[in-house]
Amino acid sequence: MIEFTSINFRTWAKLGQRGAFFGVAVFDIAEQYPKLMIVTADLGFLSGLERFMNQHPQKFVNVGIAEQNMIGVSAGLADEGHIVFATTYATFITMRSCEQVRHYLGYMQSNVKIVGSGAGLVMGFSGNTHYTIEDLSMVRAIPNITILSPADATESVKIALAAANHNGPVYVRLTGELNNPMVYKEDYPFEIGKAVVLRPLGNVTVFATGSMVYNAIKAAEILEAKGILVRVVNIHTIKPIDEAAIMESTQISKLLVSVEEHSKIGGLGAVVAECITQFGVAVPLLRLGIDDAFKHCGNYKYNLEQNGLLPEQLASAIENRYIAL
Amino acid sequence: MDTIQKYKEVFINHLQVTEDQLSTLTYQSVSTWDSVGHMGLMANLEDAFDIMLDTDDIIDFSSYVKGKEILAKYDVKL
Repeated sequence: MIEFTSINFRTWAKLGQRGAFFGVAVFDIAEQYPKLMIVTADLGFLSGLERFMNQHPQKFVNVGIAEQNMIGVSAGLADEGHIVFATTYATFITMRSCEQVRHYLGYMQSNVKIVGSGAGLVMGFSGNTHYTIEDLSMVRAIPNITILSPADATESVKIALAAANHNGPVYVRLTGELNNPMVYKEDYPFEIGKAVVLRPLGNVTVFATGSMVYNAIKAAEILEAKGILVRVVNIHTIKPIDEAAIMESTQISKLLVSVEEHSKIGGLGAVVAECITQFGVAVPLLRLGIDDAFKHCGNYKYNLEQNGLLPEQLASAIENRYIAL
Repeated sequence: MDTIQKYKEVFINHLQVTEDQLSTLTYQSVSTWDSVGHMGLMANLEDAFDIMLDTDDIIDFSSYVKGKEILAKYDVKL
């Protein structure tokens, strides 16, 4: 049984979201669910599955570099009663396998959990072919798939356990690198579809997801020093979205902000925009994310900087918009 | 407890090895020191010595002996 202790939080942070998911949480899931299967497309070691492969070789399938086949094999296993986690880089599992995801997970609702690692810009010098900036937009348009996006490695563990318990297809979007900054330093209740308010006070509300939750908190700290109080809400579930949390925020905020390591088109910002339009409320929304462009690649920090996603840049963008209200 | 004993005990407790294995202990030389065990070892060393290791040092920490060199950079005298 996994223990949510401070030393474990620190260990998981060092492993990153992917390492915590596949190096730690899957062992707990394997104990609870004897019919667990993990399927990958040639990414066993790079997914942090080394220990699992050694200890549970009968529960592990590597289909080779054949992502579409991986989804088909996973759906077949799921339809035979297995709980299946299928994993590779997020760009390959969502884009290369898009039709299989749509048909097997969306249409047939096979109980497969697809886990995309290296989402966003973290793949660095692997370049734009390996960046994942459109996945939320694509997957959330497919019916019946729950979409989860952990804020840190501890939440990655929580999400792994929750996904295993959830009856139905899930897409888990893993962001950030090793030494993933810690958002959570104490245990907390996690529930799919229920956003977490991390900073409760302020008349600006920032909705953030994945790696950007930490940066949003740091931006809020910068702004607090300037006298602007900012709420921060962790949207770990993109679909189904926590409409109540967004509605509540529209009632107490002068400005809403969305922050995501995803294209500004179709991701979290779009979800929030759709909600407030549906509510019929008129609160300005500043959408911060990856620009609608393929830029020169570089290391992770460089990539974030090119898109204005470092804490100082987020704070500056929010301050400018707030002052202009 | 003196510093070197504390250093030894982190390895012994976390990697489940004996004291006589330490001098030749390297990354992946025992099953418990795999990639997951490595990060747990780093977190436990940080906790024991109240330090924060840089990512480069975490990657460079390839053996019990090499670890002594690395911790010296953090004023941990072993």
